[in-house]
Amino acid sequence: MKHFLIATTALTLGVLPASADTLKLGLATAQTGGLAPFDAPVVEGIRIAVDELNAAGGIGGDILIEMVERDVRSDAAQTAIAVQELVDEGVEAIVLPCDADPSLAAAGIVADAGIPSISTCASSPTLPLIGGEYVFANFPGDNVQATVSASWAVEQGHKTAFILYSPDSQYTTMPLYFGDVVTALGGEVLGEATYNIGQPDFSAIATQIAALDPHPDMVMTSAYEPDFPSFIKALRAAGVTSQVIGSDGIDSPTTFGLGDVAEGVVFTTAGHATEGSPLEAFNALYEETTGAASETVFNAVGYDLVKVLEAAVGVAGSTEPGALRDAIAGLENVQGATSLITYAGTDGMPVREVTLIRVTGGMRDLVGQLAPDASLIPAPRMQ
Amino acid sequence: MDLILQQSVNAVALGGTYALLALGLAMVFSIMGLINFAHGELMTIAGYVLMYCGLASVPFVLAVPLAILAAMAAAMAMERIAFRPVRNASGATMLVTSFAVAMILQVVFQNFISVRSQPVAIPDFLGQSVTLGGLVIGVNKIVAILATLVMLVTLELFMKRQKHGIAMRAAAEDFAVARLMGIRANTVISAAFALSGLLAGVAAVLWVSQRASVDPLMGFTPVLKAFIAAILGGLGSLRGAVAGGFLLGFIEVFLAAFLPADWQAFREPIGLSLVVLVLVVRPNGLIPAATLKAVKV
Repeated sequence: MKHFLIATTALTLGVLPASADTLKLGLATAQTGGLAPFDAPVVEGIRIAVDELNAAGGIGGDILIEMVERDVRSDAAQTAIAVQELVDEGVEAIVLPCDADPSLAAAGIVADAGIPSISTCASSPTLPLIGGEYVFANFPGDNVQATVSASWAVEQGHKTAFILYSPDSQYTTMPLYFGDVVTALGGEVLGEATYNIGQPDFSAIATQIAALDPHPDMVMTSAYEPDFPSFIKALRAAGVTSQVIGSDGIDSPTTFGLGDVAEGVVFTTAGHATEGSPLEAFNALYEETTGAASETVFNAVGYDLVKVLEAAVGVAGSTEPGALRDAIAGLENVQGATSLITYAGTDGMPVREVTLIRVTGGMRDLVGQLAPDASLIPAPRMQ
Repeated sequence: MDLILQQSVNAVALGGTYALLALGLAMVFSIMGLINFAHGELMTIAGYVLMYCGLASVPFVLAVPLAILAAMAAAMAMERIAFRPVRNASGATMLVTSFAVAMILQVVFQNFISVRSQPVAIPDFLGQSVTLGGLVIGVNKIVAILATLVMLVTLELFMKRQKHGIAMRAAAEDFAVARLMGIRANTVISAAFALSGLLAGVAAVLWVSQRASVDPLMGFTPVLKAFIAAILGGLGSLRGAVAGGFLLGFIEVFLAAFLPADWQAFREPIGLSLVVLVLVVRPNGLIPAATLKAVKV
């Protein structure tokens, strides 16, 4: 038995490439549970990018990416456990789940271990602030998205707003940022309502909005499925025809399949596949790899994440975690699938393009890819 | 005044859906003593059937009965595969079994259908509204209220007049004696599951038509609400389940509508406190089951 162990150990050591030639990437993401709808497509995008890179010989032609995956089941405690396991396995970079809350549960562990981590798609600007210098985000911040949509709305002549938010998660409080920007631009927030994620019924809130006289020019929410469809159906059934503004959570086929009720809805998201854009190229690659069209921009966001890591390894010249962290923090204009991505000069919340999309006849209609006025962006709201 | 009427219509529509769900739970509980937490997954199954019918361009009027039938078949399969082997085990064993069934189904949906919610094609007329005496009422609300009424009346007649219904009532009252009278346990329990599947299927159509999407975890919230409604009404009592469903609907809608803005964050705990308050006054629920073995202490 002893000889067998020695023999197999020797064999394994011989087969594994020397550690300098691989980037060991730990994935602690939600493959089941409530966050899986977001994490699963991002991880799909990560796999496509990693396979593409490895097929071409790895980062810079010689550093292969080796992935170690853990399912955190959308649970904060499980995220902390999974991340500790990954750290123990000696990973050099970590991918955290989409939501700020479970990511923060792992922030202390990655900071102690000195390993850089990037959340798949958390958009709360508080994440890197609370998480510390080893936690990075990979999505346009909530406050930036809200600034873009509010500036556009006020420019369109919409002056009064009603906001619907949920204190259940950081992301669903985005309308509070929206309200701040609208007020700063001279508009007025006529009222606000809160909901619980997964709330069975929105007709009470819809009736409340319908009772306002006159109706608000616009209604803003960052509710996503199944809350958003339920809310907008109730709102339209109550006779409110105001402009509805949403955010990236509703960038999904359901929104475009809602029919008349969703006509004219405008929302912010991470990208739009214009002709000749990197996103269009990614979507083609996705279809070629998986045999199906990409359903969501979150696939491309996963591809972005690997491009950021690739660029960071290039700058650092090694896969040493400390050097990688510093390299990520200094990255400028990395070409991702959805946008140019810059971390330099930020606290870990990347500067990325924000795209405004309008639902027209069940199709995506590009309103614009706008850069927000930096002076209008509200400070991150600590809860 | 108009606002109160308007919100009452909202409450009746929501309460009706809760009532259907709670009734499905109560039906199985009254006979087997099992709280079936996989009841919500029956709704998810019905939702997926609606989705696939939409993809296959099956007309909505056909898709609805198909979805309901699928929920009934799934309920009976659930009983045959998962619950029959533990039928004589303790209540806790059956409860844990139902949680396991629910979780297994959720993971199956996530892995074999999609982790992301899938759009369901819903006819446009359900999203419209009509004006009745100054009230704006959504067509889906009217459909929900009518469907609830039809289901409740039909069920009442079935339980009173039909042979299987009478057998089920007898089994609920005293299963051992009912069996001595020649009532087959398997048939009665299977029928109870089929009926609970029927109720879950109808509730699912109402639920999905409001959301236009179905996701693997869709069943969680409704079954939780149904459980609260069933307890509120009196566990094991069918009329109680209906009353509990409507009361819960009213509590939720009226709190959302009339609680001051500063208090809205505490809406859920306030709602549940009201439920506790009702139970303090009536520990066995609004309309306790006649055969409830609970003792007031």
